[in-house]
Formats: sequence, structure tokens, C-alpha cells
Amino acid sequence: MKRVLILVARAWQVGPSRVLPPTCRYAPSCSEYAIEALGKHGAIKGGWMAFKRIMRCHPWGGHGYDPVP
Amino acid sequence: MDNQRNLLLAVVLCGLLLFGWDAGMNYFYPQPKEPVPAEAAAGAPGDSPAAPAKPTREGGLTDPAAIALEERDLETALKSPERVRIDAPELAGSIDLVGARIDDLTLRDHRQTVERDSGPVRLFSPAGTPAQHFAQFGWLGEGVAVPDAKTVWTAEGGPLAPGKPVKLSWNNRSGQVFTIDLSIDDDYMISAKQTVGNISGRPIVVRPFATVSRTSATASTSTYTIHSGPIGYFGDGVDFGTDYDDVAEAGKISPDGAARWIGFTDIYWLSALIPQGTTEVDADFRSLGGGVFRADAIYDPLTVPNGRAISRTTQLFAGAKDADLLGDYEDTGIAGFQNAIDWGWFGVIEKPIHWLLNQLYNLVHNFGVAIILLTVIVRVFMFPIAQKQFASMAAMRAIQPKMKAIQERYKDDKPRQQQEIMALYKSEGVNPLAGCLPILLQIPIFFGLYKVLMLSIDMRHKPFALWIHDLSAPDPAHILNLFGLLPFTPPSFLAIGPLAVLLGISMWATFRLNPPAADPVQAQMFKIMPWILMFVMAPFAAGLLIYWITNNLLTLAQQSYLYSKHPQLRAQAIKDKEDREREAKREAKAKS
Repeated sequence: MKRVLILVARAWQVGPSRVLPPTCRYAPSCSEYAIEALGKHGAIKGGWMAFKRIMRCHPWGGHGYDPVP
Repeated sequence: MDNQRNLLLAVVLCGLLLFGWDAGMNYFYPQPKEPVPAEAAAGAPGDSPAAPAKPTREGGLTDPAAIALEERDLETALKSPERVRIDAPELAGSIDLVGARIDDLTLRDHRQTVERDSGPVRLFSPAGTPAQHFAQFGWLGEGVAVPDAKTVWTAEGGPLAPGKPVKLSWNNRSGQVFTIDLSIDDDYMISAKQTVGNISGRPIVVRPFATVSRTSATASTSTYTIHSGPIGYFGDGVDFGTDYDDVAEAGKISPDGAARWIGFTDIYWLSALIPQGTTEVDADFRSLGGGVFRADAIYDPLTVPNGRAISRTTQLFAGAKDADLLGDYEDTGIAGFQNAIDWGWFGVIEKPIHWLLNQLYNLVHNFGVAIILLTVIVRVFMFPIAQKQFASMAAMRAIQPKMKAIQERYKDDKPRQQQEIMALYKSEGVNPLAGCLPILLQIPIFFGLYKVLMLSIDMRHKPFALWIHDLSAPDPAHILNLFGLLPFTPPSFLAIGPLAVLLGISMWATFRLNPPAADPVQAQMFKIMPWILMFVMAPFAAGLLIYWITNNLLTLAQQSYLYSKHPQLRAQAIKDKEDREREAKREAKAKS
């Protein structure tokens, strides 16, 4: 499960993310954050953290340096 | 020089993809060049058709010889006096009294082609015809003379219409009377109440059954996203995973879990058996050879004591997969019937899109206009995002001097520079970037619309304007043969129509709005992307292209509106662009 989710994030990085205009408000980017969180905290907790991160990645959300806890 | 090499590489790669795809598909999935018409045409009626032709999006026979044979077979088969007519609001056809088969059904409200005067879609066709597809009701029994495929039944009543049932009966002359009470509703549902009465003086054991048989020659294309083939509700959900090939290979497949309905589906049509209530049935798919398949629903053995009669009622759905109608049937207790439409993972988004599109269609009576309105609605919801972005861009101007200072200071340490800029954004509370959520939100909407356009019977053969007569099909006009003036059909990968070109141009225009990427490879990619997508998207449903073009135009309109509200940003953008061009020129000069 963890691997699958990391694969999804990787696929996003090498696919759509390459060709879309830059949008990252955060550092690290959502996909980097997701990969790190999944690696550190596993599929369920890491996945939830990544989901929450994506959910705040919009014009009213936060921005700046926001590493995986 | 470096840039040019990258550009060249990208162009070559795109070319390889475009041409290689076709070549690769032909290599890995070779199609027989041309079906052999003479042989099939010569075959006696009742022969199964020659090699299965390549399935089409909508399904139906494609081989001209098979079509001709089908026509002749139908004429002879339907002439038989032993038939009872079916005359319902949506269904027309007949019941064959030999074998008690429902094997002749056409859909009154759906045409074969986009032409209004083309014949109605034929769903059921008698056994042995090239397009065979039929339902049969019967009994299995040991030591009991049960009716078979040659049994000639006696009919009472008819033609079969709503409120006018037909009773088929057969006496086996050894103490049992078999009857099938058929009734039909205003749509696509036929009910068959199978009764066996026993006066033989001893108890008997029989198993009532219902089957749907069909050839896979008429099946629509089954794709990753839209399943065509065996289908049914087993256990706790609809099974989309079984293909004709799987059944052909295994001979017989019995899906796990209690069957609530079982049958075969195409993109737009469904034939399915719904066993009585929650009665247990043995449900399986069988391959009968020659590309013919059968879905069975066999009831558990019934013991009929002397002097008693026992019935089982099976419903047969044979018709178009109209989402609302299937939903109504689901409400009457047919589990998961609306999911006979292969909504897939994004059903949560597709169903509202489908509903909204239908509402808009009822308002304007043109699906193309409805799609455009839908796009506008989606964009209205997204507008605050763009507005917010512009507001922060305006705020950015205020901190421009500080930015410049940071850029100067960490000129040689890019990561550090990036970090400092982020920190500055944070301390000033601005950020010009929208984040990925707005994009991620749009992907399911786009994919959902694609599926709705492909799946929805409401959009089948619905026109927009001018040359677009079917929004669910690709743009019919081809630029390469001058819109049909030249007598050839361009190969699929070059078959771009005016819609695709409009898409390319509008996308190119929206891409120009974005600040160019810092990375030269990426910048080149942005330049070619619209033109690649133009080719990639050309074979998709015209409605989808209309959505995308409208979306691009709205992006352009939104941009110019927001610039007009923030004139200082426009000045800034122009200045930035000039700066960049000057920079690029200088670099080019330095290199040469």
C-alpha cells in the first residue's frame, strides 16, 4: 500500500507536474512531502498527513517551509 | 544550441510516439486485414459468422457480409407464423413460440446511426443469426418431460404490451403443465412468471431457469475505463472484471457471491436477468463456442407435490442504460442496477455532472450548449482562486525591492535563495502561487466529464451545431482531406479536425499567459505541449474538446478581466516580458 502511494506521488512528479506551470506554495512540494511522510510514518498516517498537506495547498492555505514532522 | 538540440529531441520523440503507437498496436494486436466476405455470405442461414470483426465503440455488426446475412436471416426467421408480437412504448419485436424465446427486440427510441431515419437499434436477434442475442425461459428436471428448444408453445393474448400480458403454455401429456406469463412495462422490463403445475399423481422436482445468450461479434469495444461484456451484481457489488475472452478461456465462470442480476452489457445497452426477490440462484457465464456466450440464472430445485403449482418470476431487462431509468429500477429493489453503467472510481463526481448536464440540456435543448454552460459554472466556482492569486500578485509588487535584494545576495546559492524567498513570502503573508489543490480538483472533473460523455445514453447522437452531429463521437471533419473533398480518410493519428486545431490554438494562448519556466527544457516543453495535445485529444469525444476549448477561452477572458482590474500588474507583466526577451537576446548573442 505504501509503495503504491509513493508510486502515485512519483508518477505525479514525472508526469503532470513536469508539464504544468509551477504552483508549489510550500517547500518541500506536496509530492516530496508525501513521499517523505509515507516513508517515515507508513501508509495510513503518512497518507493522511499527505492528504492534509494537499488540502491546505490552495490560495487561502499556508505557505513557506513546511517539512514532514 | 543546447536549446535547439532539446527541441529537436522532443519533436523526434513526439513523432515516434505518434507513429510508433499505431505501428506498435498493429504489431502487438494485429487485426485481420479484411474479413472474408464471400465465405460468410455463402454460408447457409444459421451458420455462425466468420472471424469476428474489430469491435466498434457503439457495437453492432461491422462486416458487410455479416450485415447482409443478418438481414436475410431476420427476414426468414421473423416471417414464421409461430410468433407473438411485442408492442410496447420503448420495445418492439416478437416472441418465438418455438422454444419460448424472446429473440426479436428493437429499441423504438434509439437509432442505429446519427441519421434520424436510420433503423431502430436491434438488441435481440434470433439464434443462429450473425447478431444472435436472445433470452429463454425453461426448466431442468430429471424424470420429467420438460420443454426444450424445439417445444412449440401455445399463446394466449398478444401482442405483448403494458397491461396486456401474454400467457404461453405447454402440456407435456404426462401430468405436468408448464406456463410462462409474460408482461412488459413502459420501458425495458419484461417479467416472466414460470409456473409448473403437477397432476401426475406423484411429486416432481424441477429447476426453473432463465438464460440470455449472445454473440460477442456485436459487442462494443471494452476499454480500461469502460467495460463491455459479461456483467452482473454478485455478493455486494457489480462485477466489471469478466471479459468475453475470460469466459471463452475458462468455458464456464461462476462469480462468487449471491447473484442479484446477471447478463451482458455494451457501452449503451444491457440485457440482464433479475431473479425473483432474494431467491438463491446458480448464476454463471458459459462459452458455447463460436463466439457465443450465455448467462444463466438457475433456481434451486423445487419439489412440486401432486395437485400443486409452483412459480418463479424472473425479470428481463433489455434496453438502453439510461441512468435515471436504471436508478428507478434500483429503487424498486434491484440491487446496484444503476451501476450497470460503468461509472468507475469517479462515480461520485460523474453522477452530479450527469445530473447537471441533463438539467442544463432540459433548459437549452442542445447538449453542446449545455456543456459550455457547465464549463462556465465550473469556472465561476474556480474564479475566486484566480482572483485571490491576482490580489497576492499585486501585493507582491510591494515587496519587490526586498525580493531583488535577496536575489542579489544569494545569487550563487539557488536553494538558499529559494528558501529566503519563501521566508519572505511568509513574513509578508503573500504567495503568488495557487498551490496544487485547484489543479487536483480539476482533474476529476475533466475525467468525470469524459466518462459521462462516453457512457451516457442521453448524449448518444446528440448534435451541437454546424458539422458536429454527435457530441459523444470524435470530430467527424478532417483537415487533411480538406473536410472530405479529397477522397481518402487520413490515418487515425493524423485525423485531426477543426475542433482539435481550435484546442491547440486556445491552449497555446493560455500557456503564453504563464510566466515561462526557468528550466529551458521545460520552457521548450511548454511550447510544444499544445500541439502535442492537439493530436492526442483529436480522437476524443467532440463534447470533451468543446469543454476544453471553452475552458481555455474562459481562462483568457478571466485573465484580461483581472488585468483590467489591476492595471499596474499588466504593466509589470509587459515589462517582465521585455526584460526576459532582452535577456534571451543577450544570451544568444553571447553564445554565437
